[in-house]
Amino acid sequence: MEHKFEEGLRLLQLHFIGKILAGFTHEIKNYLAIIKESAGLMEDLIKLGKASESDSGQNLEIIHSIEEQIEKANTLFRYLNRFAHRMDIQFATFNVNESLEELAALVTRFANQKKISIEKDFHEAIPPVYSNPSLLQFVVYSALEEKIRNLDKNSKIAIQTGVDENSVRIRIVPEGNFVQGEGDTTSISYKILEKIVMQLGGNILQESGRETLIMLPLTNS
Amino acid sequence: MKREDIKVLLVDDEVAFTRTLAQRLIMRDLRVIIAYDGEQALSQIKKEEPDVIVLDMNMPGMHGMDVLREIKKVCPDTQVIILTGHGTDKDEEEATKLGGFGFLKKPTDIETLEHKIVAAFKEKTARTM
Repeated sequence: MEHKFEEGLRLLQLHFIGKILAGFTHEIKNYLAIIKESAGLMEDLIKLGKASESDSGQNLEIIHSIEEQIEKANTLFRYLNRFAHRMDIQFATFNVNESLEELAALVTRFANQKKISIEKDFHEAIPPVYSNPSLLQFVVYSALEEKIRNLDKNSKIAIQTGVDENSVRIRIVPEGNFVQGEGDTTSISYKILEKIVMQLGGNILQESGRETLIMLPLTNS
Repeated sequence: MKREDIKVLLVDDEVAFTRTLAQRLIMRDLRVIIAYDGEQALSQIKKEEPDVIVLDMNMPGMHGMDVLREIKKVCPDTQVIILTGHGTDKDEEEATKLGGFGFLKKPTDIETLEHKIVAAFKEKTARTM
């Protein structure tokens, strides 16, 4: 039974990492395509003798566009690098908001494909937790993915964080119409999520309106 | 064949990419119109039928493959070139089956795209003559 759980978990984690990498490479390719076209446009203007002083405004605009794409690519690389390093150690003290910020940046593309926006509503003074950051990201991703898959287009998903006496709370709140039934919420993958969160000393609940609530114990509790 | 006669519709949700590419194609004497998603593209082709459509695949809302299917129903002679950052061999095969004229991967050279557009226009002209 334990072996089956581990095997199921590994498969789902591989799927998760594959999805993150696919989204990342797609986004980077888009940034590179914009940089290439912008540099190409500068070249066209120079070759046509149009890159004179009178066009300096347009030239600056093109240069700024290139800088902007490089900055966006750099931010995404930073998120992916942090995401990858979270798997280096099993347990660590970390800030939940930071790990969710990174996850949201890496999954936004999938949501946008369905015209679903992801909104973050993080408790600013959230205390650190001692837990497994990559497993937590996997659990939150799974909850997000199920909602993205089943929500109708032009919907919204809010990722909220909060804190009470003993725990840090992560709430994933869908807003919009669901086009499918209960989906994965009762399936094997959900049972795996329950087991992971229990192993982390926390709890996961499906609430009304198909919200997902994940509670993790505070470091000092 | 006059280049100014070639009407190209660019369909891509990446605004900066589409605008820059459009500018470069206009500098090469092509007539270019822009749409930022599949729905906009389909509404545009009902107003004015383009000769060649350069179409992204992964866009919010309608997927490029579904847009291609609809284009071929509305104006079967219009030639469609897929330009995507995410295309697989299977996607290329499917696009060809649906009547796509070409399949290019981002980032691509402007000359490659330009040649493809001209070839697609010639194909359209040959079909409608």
